[in-house]
Amino acid sequence: MFDYTFQWRVVWKKFPDLLDGAFLTLELTILSSIIGLIIASVLVVMQKSENKFFRGFTSTWISLARNTPALLQIYMFYFGLGSFGIHLSSYISVLAAITFNNAGYMTEILRGGFASVSRNQYLAAKGIGLNKFHTYFYVIYPQVLRTVFYPMTNQVIWAMMGTSLGIIIGLQELTGMTTFLQSQTFRPFEFYCIAALMYLVIAKFTLLLSFLVGKRFLRI
Amino acid sequence: MTYTFSFNDLIFMFQGAVITFLLTIVSGAIGTFLGFMIGWGRSVNNKILYYTLGVYIDVVRTIPLILQFVLFNSFMAIMGYPMSPFISGIITLSLYISGYVSEVITAGIKSVPIVTRKSARGLGMTYMQDFINVVIPIGVKNVLPSWVGLMLGLMKDTSLIAVMGATPPELLRSSQIIINRIHEPIFILLGAGVFYYVMCYSITRLADIYENKEKRKMAEIR
Repeated sequence: MFDYTFQWRVVWKKFPDLLDGAFLTLELTILSSIIGLIIASVLVVMQKSENKFFRGFTSTWISLARNTPALLQIYMFYFGLGSFGIHLSSYISVLAAITFNNAGYMTEILRGGFASVSRNQYLAAKGIGLNKFHTYFYVIYPQVLRTVFYPMTNQVIWAMMGTSLGIIIGLQELTGMTTFLQSQTFRPFEFYCIAALMYLVIAKFTLLLSFLVGKRFLRI
Repeated sequence: MTYTFSFNDLIFMFQGAVITFLLTIVSGAIGTFLGFMIGWGRSVNNKILYYTLGVYIDVVRTIPLILQFVLFNSFMAIMGYPMSPFISGIITLSLYISGYVSEVITAGIKSVPIVTRKSARGLGMTYMQDFINVVIPIGVKNVLPSWVGLMLGLMKDTSLIAVMGATPPELLRSSQIIINRIHEPIFILLGAGVFYYVMCYSITRLADIYENKEKRKMAEIR
């Protein structure tokens, strides 16, 4: 029933290449999370503005990002933009698509965070004579950060899993690199096992880190 | 000869949407059942059960779905039971979503106050009676929105089944086939996006309507 001999030495020999893939995955994850967070903080402000155009723009962005598959978004950037003569590399299109996706979800998380701060906090801050900047910096943001911190961590891990879609358009991040290597060496199972393990380790490490940061600095 | 988008292509995409929908329902049902069992097991006071199932949930939740597809497929091949990509896709999707569902279920069971459960037992209910008549009705109401969110995520994730070359093609795969033929990616992709959007949006609306109805019912009771 089980006549498959595992050969781990091949994997060990190609391990540096796998690490390269893992670093690309990490790089994409971190970049898309940071840019996504910046866009999300702009969007969440735009969502509250009086301007109808801004609000429409934000809600369109959020619903598009959340109601279509990430794979479709990647296709859109990679193949779809080709119709307009914009040819993006697979790296840029994955980065753009995952950032787009991230920004949509993160806006929702931030919105929830701001909604969880009671209105009395604003009034109280005003009452003790804080200006707008100080109100947000000393009173509102610390509370928002506390509520959104763990959901944001989850979102970052989601982004990491999203970058694995890069394989479909030929990007050699961890999954893509694994597929490339296994087709060179005809050892699919070993390579995919190691790749899965690497994803697991990265995700668990991120969670541990966020847990420690949350405990130490945010006292959640 | 140039090819253009014909009515048949629209029907083809519609069939793809139906496949997507069916995939979601089948793997969603299996995954919910599995997740329910796992979540229930994790909410019982048993450290061993809690941590073993926790490992399963961690594995399912932190490995990208694409990798899970490939791993499961090649694992079954190694074991000597090669499967069609479609079947193994359904199984992987069910296992994948069961990890997420189980977390929701655990949260739902925990959301029922212990006092309520104790008073149910105090009225002479057995454990099962308490679970079925007290915990489930309260818990379901609490976790329904997150469950619907998971199912929408599942619907979007079914698009990855195409990676293994599963036939019949689901929505995204069938739109890609059309793109390969007529070379108009933007319109077809927008069309596929509209299909997904409509499906997700209508499910969200239905869930909202149900939730509002429940809320109104609760308000009337009070």
